[in-house]
Amino acid sequence: MAWLIVTFVGYREVKYLPFYTFSTVFRITVTLLISIIWGVSFGILAATNRLASLILTPFIDLLQSIPILGYFPMVIGFLFALGPLGVELSVIALLFTSMAWAIFFGVLGAIRGIPANVVESARSFGLKGWRYTRHVVLPAITPAVVSGANLAWCDGWFFMIAAEYIQYQGRIVTPPSGGLGYLLATAAYYYKDMNLAIILLIFITFIVVYFNILAWHRLMERASTGTFKPVFRMDLSGVGKLGVAKATRWLHFGRLHWPRAFSIVHQRLRKYTRIEKIVAAVLAFSVVFFILYLESEHFPNLATILEGFNEPPGEELVSLPMLIALTMGRLTIAYVISLAVAIGLGVLAAEHKKLASVIYPLYDIGQGVPILALFPVLFLGLNQLIGTPRIALELTCIIMLVLDMIWYMFLNIASAAKNIPTEINEVGKLFGFKGLKRVTHLVVPSILPSIVTGSILSWGTGWNTIIFAEYMPSTEPTVPPLSVPGIGSLLDKAGYQYGNTVLLIFILGIIASIVLSMEGFLWRRLFRKFEKYHIEV
Amino acid sequence: MSLLEVENVTKTFVENTSKIFVLNNVSFSVGNDEFDCLVGPSGCGKSTLLRIVAGLEKADSGKILFHEQPIIQPTPKISMVFQLFGLLPWKTALENVDLPLEVLGVKKEDRIQIAKEYLKMVELEDFENTYPHDLSGGMKQRVGIARALAVQPELLLMDEPFSSLDELTAKTLRELVLGIWRDRSTPPNSILMVSHNVEEAVYMADRVIVISPRPGKIIGEVKINIPRPRYQQLREPVFFKLVDEVVEILEKGKTMTHDKSLHR
Repeated sequence: MAWLIVTFVGYREVKYLPFYTFSTVFRITVTLLISIIWGVSFGILAATNRLASLILTPFIDLLQSIPILGYFPMVIGFLFALGPLGVELSVIALLFTSMAWAIFFGVLGAIRGIPANVVESARSFGLKGWRYTRHVVLPAITPAVVSGANLAWCDGWFFMIAAEYIQYQGRIVTPPSGGLGYLLATAAYYYKDMNLAIILLIFITFIVVYFNILAWHRLMERASTGTFKPVFRMDLSGVGKLGVAKATRWLHFGRLHWPRAFSIVHQRLRKYTRIEKIVAAVLAFSVVFFILYLESEHFPNLATILEGFNEPPGEELVSLPMLIALTMGRLTIAYVISLAVAIGLGVLAAEHKKLASVIYPLYDIGQGVPILALFPVLFLGLNQLIGTPRIALELTCIIMLVLDMIWYMFLNIASAAKNIPTEINEVGKLFGFKGLKRVTHLVVPSILPSIVTGSILSWGTGWNTIIFAEYMPSTEPTVPPLSVPGIGSLLDKAGYQYGNTVLLIFILGIIASIVLSMEGFLWRRLFRKFEKYHIEV
Repeated sequence: MSLLEVENVTKTFVENTSKIFVLNNVSFSVGNDEFDCLVGPSGCGKSTLLRIVAGLEKADSGKILFHEQPIIQPTPKISMVFQLFGLLPWKTALENVDLPLEVLGVKKEDRIQIAKEYLKMVELEDFENTYPHDLSGGMKQRVGIARALAVQPELLLMDEPFSSLDELTAKTLRELVLGIWRDRSTPPNSILMVSHNVEEAVYMADRVIVISPRPGKIIGEVKINIPRPRYQQLREPVFFKLVDEVVEILEKGKTMTHDKSLHR
């Protein structure tokens, strides 16, 4: 207790804790409402209007594929000119770019997933226009909206620390009304006070878990008992009693298990027609050209664009392949660790009820920790322990990646292992599969599709995190920021330190192409291959 | 002595703290070379009963004796065909049949030989390397039957094996199963099938055991003494008479529980 008081007294910012809490909650709530309105209206539009779908879906998918933290500086730069209100708006804009997608794709998937017989019977009774929307579409999307909103809410907390402590061209921009992310970043970066940072981190985790259990649990229960129960049902039992937040990503269509994330990925990979793919490619190029065109106002000719490559940190471009390899290496190490641990824990949790009662609560709290907020705390701790900032940052980076990626893997694997159809389990029992034989012949093959889904999600979130984690901002103008070599830190330097827009866009393009080609060449193939493993029940 | 003896089996499930009374004091037996069929309305516990016999579920009380030995866990002497086939999607037809043999410790070359032989028996010799995903429903159930037979069971359990197939396919598979059963040189000796299709039961079985709505108990049995093969008898009055007899018992079972609920 004394320790608590000693830690808290002496920082004037701490006095504002209640206000900051309110300000962050309020900010995320406002962004959530905007995201819901945007996601539902655009989702319905894209799902019901073919032309809108052709243009919107690939475009939004593209935006979603680019690591969100990557285009922070680009989205917001001009808003700062508007003064304090502009800064508040830019924070909301940043949060929006991290929150909106889940709802949009959830709505799109839910509408496209309405069974043909429901659509046909509605049509045959003459339901059209608003009536059709009101009686068929809205009930159908309610579970998707609620679970998508919950995802968005969690994502909002995840990005909150980055959004409330914006590094822009070498300076720090914070919203005038403050916030928990701002407070934590100040404690860690500015005061470098471990104790305060840890206390704040626990406080933030508590708030996230509190909201998840209290508000979202009830909301989702209500949504699942909606009018559409026989057709669309949300899996509330999910993983463990408290694993509500992410477990509800599992949507049930009839008796088929469709993890929400799975349906997004599935739809992303399968439902594109050739025309949509072409439109996507054309759009991707035109977006890049459009941005370049906009920027060309600032850089009127080719010479200045080329000059952008020569300005710092342009000199590091020489070692670009090396930087990409380093970043990919970190991601791979973290991925392999998460994969191994998640398979072990997921299978154990599904097979042993007693272990599950230990693992699931851990999962609940673990996934409630806003990982980005953990970054400064982890770094401070490791730095004190090791003494070499470089190594400490390298370690921090990998630990953060593991902590970030593992939950997606674990959730997907545990749910799949738990949802192995009874008949398959009975076949195993009847013919005497036991121990290792059971695991290799039954459990592992049946969770393979989920491993692919989990991998896609965890690489996606991993890219986001690594952009943040390879680079440690500095609070004193004289001290250069600390970073480990990698394409993520190069992006940060271009964006935050030097404000080199040309380079920023170039690196973003490279990252986007890596992400997209991994999806195309690796995940899509695996996905197709393992799709047959889904057991039709 | 009977091959299988079920004595006073009772079973309740606990779901969401409320108890569901599934089976109430069920007793019957299956003799050597007998084809018996359990018939009852859906949800009467007949599938549960079959699973208890297979050793997949435990009865709350009562005994299951196989060759006078109690069954406490699944044994290769009793095999099962599932309603939804229960094939492993990540294994080919051949691998699906092969796997139980591997568990039994059969040598690899012998295993492949046996698996091929049984796939041939169900007329799937050209689909050995096909995955379930690419097989039709009828073909999947053929694999299911081959897999169940490959372990050479004395008693074959079938849980509504034809109810997820279309009628034409079901008809063909019924003949296939009857043919295999009547061929004394191959297993199984006895078959215990669960069905809610009375015509199917009367057509296939030596004896139809009728179960009441939940909690299931045996409310009658009808001996089917139509000579085999019965293909020609399908339109004979004797066939319809026996079907009516079973239906009558089923109807009586319905009113029985209805009366009970009135008394409560």
